[in-house]
Amino acid sequence: MIELLAQTGLNALYAASYTALVAVGLVLIFGVMGVINFAHGELFMLGAYAIVAVYADWNLPYLVAVAVGMTFVGIVGLGMERAFFRPLRDNPLGGLVASIGFLMILQALVSMGFGVRMEHVPPVTQDVIVITEKVRLPVFRLAVILAAVVLLASLWAFLKKTRFGWALRASAQDPEAAALQGISINQTARIAMFIGAALAGVAGALTAPLISVNPHMGHSVIVTAFIVIIVGGIGSLEGAVIVAVAYAFVHTFVTTFFDGVIADIVGLLLLLAVLIVKPTGLFGSADRA
Amino acid sequence: MLLELRAVAVAYGKVSAVRDISLEVPDGRIVTIIGSNGAGKTTTLRAISGLTRVREGEIHFAGERIDNLAPDRIVARGIAHVPEGRRIFPDLTVEENLRTGAFLRREREAVQRDLEAVYDRFPLLLERRTQLAKTMSGGEQQMLAIGRALMTRPKLLLMDEPSMGLAPKIVEEIARIIGEINAQGVPVILVEQNAELALELADYAYVLETGSLALEGPADELHDNEHVRAAYLGI
Ligand SMILES: Nc1ncnc2c1ncn2[C@@H]1O[C@H](COP(=O)(O)OP(=O)(O)OP(=O)(O)O)[C@@H](O)[C@H]1O
Ligand SMILES: [Mg+2]
Repeated sequence: MIELLAQTGLNALYAASYTALVAVGLVLIFGVMGVINFAHGELFMLGAYAIVAVYADWNLPYLVAVAVGMTFVGIVGLGMERAFFRPLRDNPLGGLVASIGFLMILQALVSMGFGVRMEHVPPVTQDVIVITEKVRLPVFRLAVILAAVVLLASLWAFLKKTRFGWALRASAQDPEAAALQGISINQTARIAMFIGAALAGVAGALTAPLISVNPHMGHSVIVTAFIVIIVGGIGSLEGAVIVAVAYAFVHTFVTTFFDGVIADIVGLLLLLAVLIVKPTGLFGSADRA
Repeated sequence: MLLELRAVAVAYGKVSAVRDISLEVPDGRIVTIIGSNGAGKTTTLRAISGLTRVREGEIHFAGERIDNLAPDRIVARGIAHVPEGRRIFPDLTVEENLRTGAFLRREREAVQRDLEAVYDRFPLLLERRTQLAKTMSGGEQQMLAIGRALMTRPKLLLMDEPSMGLAPKIVEEIARIIGEINAQGVPVILVEQNAELALELADYAYVLETGSLALEGPADELHDNEHVRAAYLGI
């Protein structure tokens, strides 16, 4: 029993890692730009395909592929900001619709480039850390968890300690008042979009070796991320991280001990329950909702 | 002339908010714009600081045209705007709020000196420097908003109803501070519904009525003007 609990706990933390990376990016973009990026799951998917191309096909080192994926998807985010979020800034619904259109374009482009099939990425490492005879922790999953923790901690330090981090938070709280302090909305939007997209990309790159990569893999990720940010309180980065961890634990344990469909249902029921008790989400404040 | 508006008009969609506004702010002075609700005072300030587009006319600041520059470019040229309703950043601390005012400034030491000067002027803010701004009272928030604007090192300070919603004692305090800031060489455009206070502080005054200038003159003359007394001073 203890073995199963340990393995499942590790799996839950692993799921929490990439879910948190995706959700935090989504919240950052929403906070600074006021738009919901529906194409966020496809940015995750692009990150995974960067691994397929750079690591699996071109045989470059895995870490190089992760760095390429992260940067590439960040740049795609910059392109999105320039191409449609900026022209549609005063029209959040327009931004949302444009991002749905872009999601379809990305899926189509990837399907054309790679074909609509499952890509299997060769494992990066098969090593396990043997705790006891029965408790064996795969090194790769541990590394993904560690990477997520480092990335989220860096983001936190950036937001709290640097001049641009401050600017981002000020912009998220009151864009006009921020503009009156000399903080350019275009600039904070670019930074938020680059970071948000890069986080989705790196999440996709980190998970690619453990899941089957396909052009439609963004769906389930974005649904989970939406649940997480709504329960956490849209606009709250801390909420997104905490709820990502909680949700991943519930979902993973229910999947392991019952099955995946029941886990999805439980997740949605939790969402419903939270929305009934606290419509602004657990960590949200009324004015940001 | 430090600031000059020439026949400025602003509209929200198809609805005209202000038209044919021409006004001047000489260096070193306090100029006030008074008027009742919806007269267009806020709109005029927003046009100056670039938050709202200018439809017609021109705005010149320190010899250069600034109408329709982005707000951050206008701050960079030295116009600070303490907006209506204070608009401090609720979830930043007091000190973080003040430091956002210095966002464009790279000289660390000068920024640090200005920060200390703001704390000297508002000792209350020093006591609360690590507190979240949203937990402060209205008067404290107004002082924070003024302090934040001073951190930009303004060559001109725009203030939109700094007395709004504050107790008489705090209003007096704010008035004293505005006088002090001006005495130290910063020209001010003061927008007020509290005409008594505004005319007392200002050198020169403009009266806005439903989007156009109705009257202008030295503040003490307007203070004695029949129409102003009846309409704005309630005498
Ligand atoms: N965002 C907006 N959209 C549409 N109309 C607006 C907007 N802001 C102001 N107005 C209109 O423009 C006119 C001038 O408003 P403004 O806020 O400049 O007045 P004000 O003199 O500052 O009033 P108050 O003393 O109440 O602050 C009003 O008729 C107002 O209804
Ligand atoms: Mg106003």
